[in-house]
Amino acid sequence: MVLSQSTSLKCFSAVTVFAAVFLVVFLGVGIAQAAEEEVAFGRPVAPDVPLPYVYTDWRHFTKADGLPDDHVFAVKVDGPKVWIGTENGLACLDKRTGEIKSWTEKDGLPWRVVTAIDVDPKTGDVWLGLFGGGLARFSGGRFDHYHQLNSGLVNDVVYGVAVVEGDLIWAATTAGSSVMDLRTGEWKIFTEKNAPMEEIWNYSVCYNDGKVFLAVWGSGVLEFDVATRRWKHYLDPDAEMEIDLYRDDGVIHVITTGCSYVDKVLWVSSYFGLSRYDGRHWRGFYAHETGMPSDFTNNLKARSGVECYFAHDKGLGVIADYPSDSWVSYTRDPKTLRGRAAVFRGGKKLIELDLERTIPHNFCIVLDVDEKDIWVGTGKGLGWGIGNGYFAGVKPNPQWLADYLQRKSPAEPASPTTPSQQVSADPAQSQVAGQ
Amino acid sequence: MWCATALLAVTGLFAADPAANMSSTKPEWMPPFEVSEEVLNILREINSVNAYQVPKLPLRMERRYALTPVEVTPFRHVEPHKRHFLEQMEYWGPGRAIPEPEHVDTVKIGFIGPIMPTVSVAVGGKSHNEENLGIKKLQGAQLAIEEANAQGGYLRRKIPFELVVRNDNGLWGSTGNEVIDLAYKENVWAILGTIDGANTHIAIRVGLKIEIPMMSSGNTDPTFIETNIPWVFRCMGDDRQMAYLLCDYMYRVLDLKRVAILRASNRYGRFGVREVVDSSRRMGRPIVVEMAYPVGSEDFSIQLDRIEREKPDAVVHWGNADDGARALNQMRARGMTQLFFACDRCIRDEFVKIAGSNAEGVICASPWDPTRDDPVYQAFRERFRKRFGEEPETYAAHAYDGMAILIWGIQVAGLNRAKIRDVIAHRMEPFRGVTGEIPLSSVLDDAGEVYLAKFEGGEWRYYSREQLGLPPREVLAHQAPPTPTGSSQTPDPSRQAASSQGS
Repeated sequence: MVLSQSTSLKCFSAVTVFAAVFLVVFLGVGIAQAAEEEVAFGRPVAPDVPLPYVYTDWRHFTKADGLPDDHVFAVKVDGPKVWIGTENGLACLDKRTGEIKSWTEKDGLPWRVVTAIDVDPKTGDVWLGLFGGGLARFSGGRFDHYHQLNSGLVNDVVYGVAVVEGDLIWAATTAGSSVMDLRTGEWKIFTEKNAPMEEIWNYSVCYNDGKVFLAVWGSGVLEFDVATRRWKHYLDPDAEMEIDLYRDDGVIHVITTGCSYVDKVLWVSSYFGLSRYDGRHWRGFYAHETGMPSDFTNNLKARSGVECYFAHDKGLGVIADYPSDSWVSYTRDPKTLRGRAAVFRGGKKLIELDLERTIPHNFCIVLDVDEKDIWVGTGKGLGWGIGNGYFAGVKPNPQWLADYLQRKSPAEPASPTTPSQQVSADPAQSQVAGQ
Repeated sequence: MWCATALLAVTGLFAADPAANMSSTKPEWMPPFEVSEEVLNILREINSVNAYQVPKLPLRMERRYALTPVEVTPFRHVEPHKRHFLEQMEYWGPGRAIPEPEHVDTVKIGFIGPIMPTVSVAVGGKSHNEENLGIKKLQGAQLAIEEANAQGGYLRRKIPFELVVRNDNGLWGSTGNEVIDLAYKENVWAILGTIDGANTHIAIRVGLKIEIPMMSSGNTDPTFIETNIPWVFRCMGDDRQMAYLLCDYMYRVLDLKRVAILRASNRYGRFGVREVVDSSRRMGRPIVVEMAYPVGSEDFSIQLDRIEREKPDAVVHWGNADDGARALNQMRARGMTQLFFACDRCIRDEFVKIAGSNAEGVICASPWDPTRDDPVYQAFRERFRKRFGEEPETYAAHAYDGMAILIWGIQVAGLNRAKIRDVIAHRMEPFRGVTGEIPLSSVLDDAGEVYLAKFEGGEWRYYSREQLGLPPREVLAHQAPPTPTGSSQTPDPSRQAASSQGS
């Protein structure tokens, strides 16, 4: 059938209108246009622009508050308790009272450096990965010590620990993985000899929904199905260290540092950027395209399949809503020591906030998600982001913005500075702001 | 200025009493001997920041990673989504604010190397076969420490340096345990890392978390520095650079068509030939066969049967000297007359001794040229012979340089691991060691020239890229593939950027 010219035009117009509506409604064209405008402190680029949740209420904990050390390597939330692993001991913070108890080698902790923590949901036992000291179970006030010479632990340099279905303790070590079966006391070791590890340098382990995931330095990500005992292997398809050929063709680099599996979505961190895998599609993320503080990512933790937190060397990055490509970046101004939070969408900055505090230090090492709150371990202290009025996704005129403006506006009018002046000296962020 | 570098410190070429030059009006952070204005600026910056600030230091920016020739660039017809390693990594942690300890009796520097193999059930024999390299490396490091101590030790406090030695037996990731022991129990300020590629990776992962400078002087694994860790350095040309030169020579000069590989069945062999394999394929001469053998093999007939069947023009060997020599002898014994190329580990007396007359004509890649006319090296050679009664070689000389750089960093920056890192990492001027100039790249790797060594008339003769009739690396890295005889002198834009750019 041949359409007349007018019919064609009408159809074209209809298609155009539909497409435009589709773009506005579903793809946020309005947001994108708004992003071209100037950004002012505390003022979004346009009214009613949908924004993700931003943590504006933070508390810090350091040695002065009772931590055994400011260098925080591990954090794990267990109800009202927050377990904290540092370079010089273990601590437990009671969220309700703010009281911190700590343990060092003098108190029976087998080794001073605690790099990983998990809690057995069945027993409440706390499992500790010790950096050069093996593995320890803290239960009933007693530390039980497992190491290379008294157990099946393959190496004493433990980077990650996960309690798997309450029965298996999985340790990610620098020379492979070891698994202890709590029912039988038997150990099993996974290395290149019996698992698809191109390299054996395990960096992180997580468990959820019947699957164990290992982030392995030099070997991408390994997936182990607990029921079928089968492995899957995820590598960078271009197999080159110095490039990422295509961003979305697989995990972006084989040197991975962390993984988190929630809602059947796998999130992966590396020193080169981030990856997300929904079981069918991969998506890579880089700082220059998103607004996150850096590509160098020490660790990560997902709250859901669309929301994940990243511990970067230059701040805390958050993909707050994957479908709308909404990001939040938290940094600490090194001169004023005040906090900064910035919201990005599609790499464009939508709003930047000047806060009394955010993260304790920009060098973020580890984090955990705690219902509506988040915990961030850094090179200098632990941060607690309190999720008052937390919501998932994005929404226009969120309460946190109204509260922020109310607090800010009487005494401190919004800064008239341009976006490039507002961001930190970080070239990556300046680039994003200047786009 | 070269007089500011470690080599002068350890060889006693700087002022007789450097501490005497310090004026009481100068800030405490002023180094105890003369350094360049560039280094002073770095010191000024790193000593002006608090735990939350990051100093504004010059960063190396490169246009092309590792000066990879265009012709052998991965996926060269496609612009990749992201190129890594072009901009130098920074350290953003709070470590610079850690004060110097009050009470220190010695300034400890760690050494980890394969100086003694252990018997391993896991590998069915010795845990490794690298003690010959490890002991030479230890000698080089020892000499650097002894000479620094003869010059007054750690000049700010007039206390000696102390080398804390750990054996790397390579089993079950023991390297990681050793690094932790060095960092947390011995409290060393920096570590001279090991030789094995896998063990080095384990070590640097630990070093990154601990935040301690780690210098490699003997690991040629290209991936060692391809990790984005701002704490690691290498003062030796790597297998990537040596593979580029080897392939350039084999294909551009000799026009070989069929090359076979015989390599050790370990990480050194596997990763060592990776760039040879990739470059050969990208240059249109794919490797005809790659055969691996167990380290320490006596019989190579299985591997040589397969290789011989492919009728290669040449064989490239990547493995230890004794294995290489035995394989070469067996090749010649069965009438295989192909050219024999090898890695730098075969440039050893051990290789020549086992290979005998078969060594004649063998060509090895080399990270340096020890036969060059260089008074600094000759003086080092003399001192080394006097101290140990034997010649230095690749691993001893590079360990000496690596340790000298660490000592320089400690003397200049003081007892703070982050600041030691800073002064070494952000100094744009090349270090000049006994092995030659050591210009660091954006990934803090030795970006200097590498060589080919040919055994001719009973001795190793070294050839530079220029002497081989090959174009400079800079030309190949930025232009379309030239003819074999081309020798343009186009300056390297990335180097210009590195020397002038800061951020």
